Amino acid sequence: MTSRTAKAAGRLPLLGACAIAWAAGLAAQQPANFTSSHSGKNEFVIKNAVLLTATHGRIERGSVYVKDGKIVAFGANVSAPAAVRVIDAEGKYVTPGIIDPHSHMALDNDVNEATSPVVPQMMMKDAFDYNDKAIYRALAGGVTSALLLHGSADMIGGQAVVIKTKYGLDRDQMLFPDAPQSIKFASGENPKRVFGDRKQLPSTRMGNFEVMREAFTQAKDYQRQWEEYNEKVKRGDKSATMPKKDLKMEALLQVLQGKMLVQIHCYRADEFLTEIAIANEFGYKIRAFHHALEAYKVPQALAQNNIAIATFADWWGYKYEAWDAIPWNAVMSMRAGVKVAIKSDSDDFIRRLNQEAAKTMRYGGATEDEAMQMLTINPAWIIGVDNKTGSIDVGKDADLVLWDGYPLSSYGIPQKVWIDGDLYFDRALPGLGMPQFQEGQ
Amino acid sequence: MKRAAIRCSPFALGVSFCAMLLAGTVTAQPKATATAKPSASAALDPSKPIAITGGKLLTITRGAIENGVLVFENGRISAVGSASSVKVPANAQVIDVTGMTVYPGLIDSETHLGLTEIEADKMTNDLVEPSDEIMPNMHVSDAFHAETVLIPVTRYNGITNAIVAPDSRDTLPGQDSFIQLAGADATQMLLIRDIAMPLNFTGKQRRNESFATAQYPQTRMGMAAQMRQAFTDAQTYAQNWDEYNKKKAALKAGEAPPKTPVHDLKLEALLPYLEGKKPVVVKAEEPSDVETAYALAQEFKLRVILDGLTQSQSIYDKIAQWKVPVIVGPIYAAPKEWERYDAVYKMPGELAKRGVKIAFASFDAHQARNLPYAAGFAVAFGLPYDEAMKALTLYPAQIWGVDDQLGSLDVGKTANIVVANGDPLDVKTDVKRVFIQGREVPMVNRQTELRDRYSHP
Repeated sequence: MTSRTAKAAGRLPLLGACAIAWAAGLAAQQPANFTSSHSGKNEFVIKNAVLLTATHGRIERGSVYVKDGKIVAFGANVSAPAAVRVIDAEGKYVTPGIIDPHSHMALDNDVNEATSPVVPQMMMKDAFDYNDKAIYRALAGGVTSALLLHGSADMIGGQAVVIKTKYGLDRDQMLFPDAPQSIKFASGENPKRVFGDRKQLPSTRMGNFEVMREAFTQAKDYQRQWEEYNEKVKRGDKSATMPKKDLKMEALLQVLQGKMLVQIHCYRADEFLTEIAIANEFGYKIRAFHHALEAYKVPQALAQNNIAIATFADWWGYKYEAWDAIPWNAVMSMRAGVKVAIKSDSDDFIRRLNQEAAKTMRYGGATEDEAMQMLTINPAWIIGVDNKTGSIDVGKDADLVLWDGYPLSSYGIPQKVWIDGDLYFDRALPGLGMPQFQEGQ
Repeated sequence: MKRAAIRCSPFALGVSFCAMLLAGTVTAQPKATATAKPSASAALDPSKPIAITGGKLLTITRGAIENGVLVFENGRISAVGSASSVKVPANAQVIDVTGMTVYPGLIDSETHLGLTEIEADKMTNDLVEPSDEIMPNMHVSDAFHAETVLIPVTRYNGITNAIVAPDSRDTLPGQDSFIQLAGADATQMLLIRDIAMPLNFTGKQRRNESFATAQYPQTRMGMAAQMRQAFTDAQTYAQNWDEYNKKKAALKAGEAPPKTPVHDLKLEALLPYLEGKKPVVVKAEEPSDVETAYALAQEFKLRVILDGLTQSQSIYDKIAQWKVPVIVGPIYAAPKEWERYDAVYKMPGELAKRGVKIAFASFDAHQARNLPYAAGFAVAFGLPYDEAMKALTLYPAQIWGVDDQLGSLDVGKTANIVVANGDPLDVKTDVKRVFIQGREVPMVNRQTELRDRYSHP
C-alpha cells in the first residue's frame, strides 16, 4: 500500500465537505440565462419602510442600503451615495426573507429511499428538481431560503440540501453557498408504519432506536478499522489491508465527528428524551427536533441541550403522535428557552408561513420580534446559515421582502422579494411576477 | 321542516350541557382580564336577558356599530343597536366588552366534524362508504360523533355552525347535516339532517388506481353514466310508486290489488333531490368537470350549489350566469403549473365581483378552526372585507336556508354570538367568548387543558 493511497483514505471523511466546496464553486459562476439585473451586483436603497429586522426590533421610517448582494447599512438614518437608486417603500413593511427549515418541495416523489431504515448516503441534491414551480410559489410567499429534507420513512434518511429560492436559475446556482450539511433522522409512527407494514425492523419505537444504535455502533467499528489501518500505514506496516470505503459509514462518521447538523423528525416528549440519550451515548449533537409537537411537555430538556424546534403553528390530529399537539407549543417552548422556528413541511404552507408565525402572537402572546425570529433568524440557525441571512444586519445577504399589509397578519402579502440583492419576485409585474420571465412566460 | 328543527332546540338543552357550562366557568383562566372574562365567578342565566355592551358590533346586515348594545334572552336576540338607541333591560346581566368586536357565529359550509378523530386511525373515521359510488342513502347524521374532541377546538375560534359532509371519494357519498357546535348530545347538535347531497365530480371518484385493480367507473364517462342511471332509476321508481298508489286508490271491490313495488332506500334517497326539495352540492375543480356535472344536474332539474371550482378561472363569467351560489375553495389549492401564484387565492374576489353569492368552508375537520383566515387571505387578494364577513355568516345562512335564524346580529335570530379582541379574519385575533343559542360556551377544550396541565409558572 503506497502512502498516496493512505492519504486518500485519510481524506475520505471529508467527502461531504468537498462536495459542498464543489457546489459553492459552481454557484459563484455567472448565471447563463440571466440579465445583469441578476448579477448579485445591484446597488439600491429601500427608503421609507417599516423595518422588522428580526434582531434589532422594529425601525419606523427606516432604510436599507444594499450593495453587491449584501446589506451594507440599515436604520433610521442611512447615508448612501446620491447616485444610488432609491426604492420608496411608501411606509410599507420590509423584513428579512423567510426561511423554511423543513420543506420537501422540488423533490418529486424522491423523498424516501425507504428500502432500508438507514440510508445516510442518500444526497437530496441528487434528486433536487430545481424546475419545480413550488419554489416559485414559495418565493412569492416571501421565502428566500429553505432546507429541503428527506421524508420520515427512514430512521436516517440522508443528507439534505439548502437552497435559495432563485427560481429560474440552474440547479447549482440555487444551492446555498457554503451552507453546512444537514442530515435527517426520524423516529416514531412513520418508520414504524413503513417497515412494520412489511414485517421488517423497525415496527416499534424499540425497533426504531435499536436500529439507530446499531448503525452508530457499526460506524464506530468502521472508524476504528480505519484508524487502525491508518496507524499501521503510518508505522510502515506492509501487512496493512485497507478497509472497504463505505459511503454509508462515511456519512455516519461525519455525524459522529460533528460535521453534520442533525435534524430529527419526532413528535413525542419521550422520543425527545430517548433521542437525546442516544446522541449523548454516541457523542453527537442534535441541532433541531422537527415537528416536535410535544416540546411543550419537556422544554427544559431541549433548552439544556441547545436543541431548537421546527414546529407547526397549529397542525394536529392527523395521527396519534400529533394528538397532543397544541397551538401554544411554540410559545410555551420558547418561554422555557428553546429556540423555535415555524416550518411548513408543505408546499401549501410554505406560501404563507408569515400567517402561521402570526398565530404564535395569538396563542401564547409572542411579541412581534419573537414571531419574526421564528420565521427568519431561528430557522437560519437551525440550518446553520444564521451568520449569512435571517435578519436585517450589516454584512448579511440582502434577502429581503417588501410587504403589502402587515406581514404578521392574514393580510400581509409580499410585494417584492430580493435574494442576494437581486429582485426575483415583483407582484406588480404581469404573468408570474418574475422580472426574468417577462418575455415568453 | 328546517324551521321546526332549529326552533325546537333552543330550550331543549339538557342538564348535562348546563353542568358542562358551570364546570367550564369554574375552570376559567384566572389570568384573563376583567373585560375578557368578567363572568369567571358565575354562570350566566340564559333565561334572563344578557346585554353585551361597549363593543363594536359587526351586524353583517346593517354595517358596524361602535359602542353597540346587543341584548339576547332565551336564546334569541332581542335588541341590537348603538348605546344611545338601545335600552339595557333592568334585569339584564351586563357584560362590558369595551374594545372588543362582537359578531355572529361563523358558519363553515363544509367540514367532516364528528366523522373523524385521528386521521391515521381508521377505527376513528366514518368519512365515506367507498364500497359503491352511489350511496345517497348514507346519512352523516348516523355517524355524527357529538362528543368529538374536535368540536370544542373548532368553536374556540368562533365557529358555531357547520355543514358536516362525507368525504368526496364517491360521486354520491350520502347526505349532509347542518350542525350547531354545542349541545347536550347529537340530537341537539344536528339541527337539520339530510340538508343537502354532495355530487362529486373531480375525477377522484374514478376507481382507476391501476389497470390491474380498475373497476367501473374507471373514467369520468363512467362516473357520469353511473349517476345518470341512478337518477333515471329513481325517476322510474317514483313513477312505479305513483302508478301503484293511483291504482290502489282506484281499486274497485272484487278487483285484484296491484302488485306492490319493492322498496329501494338508495333510490328513495334521491327523490327529494329530483323533486327540487333539497339542493345538491356539486363539487368540481376543472372547467370541463364543472360543466359536465352542472349539465348533469340540469338534465335532472336538480337545485345546485357549486363547490370547489379551484381550477375554473376560465369560466367564471359563465358560472356567474348560472346564478347559483358557490362554496369557494379551498383557496389554498395549488394553481396549475403555468398559472400565476395567486390564481386560486383570487377566486373568491373574482366570483364576488361577478355577483356570485359565495360561502367559505374549511373542507376539513381538525383545521376547521382556521376557517376565518381563508376569508382574510381572500381579502388580501381582492375580496371586499364586508363580502368576506358575509361569506362566513349571512351568505351560508341563506344558502342553507337558515337565514331567518342565523347569519347576522338581528332581532329574532338565534343568539350565536362571538366576542373577540379584534378583526375576526385576522390570525392574531383571540376569541374571548362564544355564545351558542344564548348560552355561554366554556372556552375550554382538550388543547387548553393540555396547555394548562403543562404550564409552569
